[in-house]
Amino acid sequence: MSGSAKSLLFIAGLCLVCSLLLTAASSGLKPYQEKNVRIDRHRNVLLAAGLLAEGRSYREAEIEELYAARIQELRVDLEGRILAGDEGARPEGLPLYLIQEGGEIRGYIVPIDSRGLWGPIQAYLAIDRDGQTVKGFAVTRHAETPGLGGEIEKEWFRRNWVGKKIATREGAFVSVGIAKGRVEEQVPEPKRPHYVDGISGATMTGKFLTAGIRDSLSRYEPVSIRFRRNQIAEWEQKPPPARP
Amino acid sequence: MNGAAVRPWAAVRRTVAYKEIVKALWRANPISKQILGICSSLAVTVQLETALVMSLALTGVTAGSSLAVSLLRRAIPRNIRIIVQVAVIATLVILADEILKAFLFDVSKQLSVFVGLIITNCIVLGRSEAYALNHPPGPAFLDGLANGLGYSSVLMGVAFFRELLGSGKLFGVAVIPEAFYRAGYVNNGLLVLAPGAFIMIGLFVWLEHALLEKK
Repeated sequence: MSGSAKSLLFIAGLCLVCSLLLTAASSGLKPYQEKNVRIDRHRNVLLAAGLLAEGRSYREAEIEELYAARIQELRVDLEGRILAGDEGARPEGLPLYLIQEGGEIRGYIVPIDSRGLWGPIQAYLAIDRDGQTVKGFAVTRHAETPGLGGEIEKEWFRRNWVGKKIATREGAFVSVGIAKGRVEEQVPEPKRPHYVDGISGATMTGKFLTAGIRDSLSRYEPVSIRFRRNQIAEWEQKPPPARP
Repeated sequence: MNGAAVRPWAAVRRTVAYKEIVKALWRANPISKQILGICSSLAVTVQLETALVMSLALTGVTAGSSLAVSLLRRAIPRNIRIIVQVAVIATLVILADEILKAFLFDVSKQLSVFVGLIITNCIVLGRSEAYALNHPPGPAFLDGLANGLGYSSVLMGVAFFRELLGSGKLFGVAVIPEAFYRAGYVNNGLLVLAPGAFIMIGLFVWLEHALLEKK
């Protein structure tokens, strides 16, 4: 057998072994990974909703129980109407999470899909029943540099968001942006409710996330308007069936 | 009683493992002596926790790939040896990443990009090409392990100073007392940024060269 035929045969054999190994690892570990991802998503939804105490670690069962009791997942159309039954599975529906307490809606959570410096950023922004005050913010997936852009998932950064306004007092949509530095030093007084402190060394992450949040929030603006006008009574009276 | 029992350290000093590890930690340290793996040591040394997991992952991959390449060394056709080594290393890196995602999800979320980038780390391919290809599996495994530890030692050293001086913390726990901040102490913002890591690594390189020269 010639040298190059031998080389080809060897590399084909090696690739076969490697791909078998990777396939085995990938399918063997998939259930664990998917469970981790699901729990992490639930944890971050709860975190954004302000339902988890800081500085305490929760067991998986606690997360699942709290999530089932307090969060309702549903889909709405572009006008902010709830899609029921089969409609809910339609791709144009937007996912929305309602924060429940004793049959009453305490607020809603908007999923944020944003560009980041190194890859997509997925986050949740919880907004109060008034349709404009931010209840909390949590990042569920990002690929930013640890210690720089990666700080977006840290407690100090998340705490920044609580109490900020996505709209003016008159109800006009503004969104919340990330300042370049500290808000007190960089942003004039009247605009401060619409900005959070930035991260030093992560200007680009802040820029992308600001744009991503504005995009996502403007898509959910019809929902926010309903909340601002307090037109959510119908949602409370007959809550749509929880998804299995 | 033999000498080894009286002075166990002397016996340890004579072993191959000890010599290899000391060499990789000190005389031929991959980062401070061979200036390899600088990219990841800039990126993951802002905090000790990420540096530690990265160190473990890289040490595991280097030792594992050296072992695998050494086992295959007589069968690997010379003209495609780099391709073979990269395939082995890439497989191990993906495995490490999958395992982290399944069992250490939180840390893997912070590190994910950099674990993947171990593939491009010169140390891994360097050890496999320069050593494992011509040596039996035992020493090759040891060589990979030793060089992984050499990388880890600088990574942890740099991360220690960057986290301490840049954020006033160690492993995420605040160690600089509040009173210092009230008295006007400020964290050094430069150390959080990549240029700070360059300066820190430069200082390590200088320190090790200066100390070795004296000897």
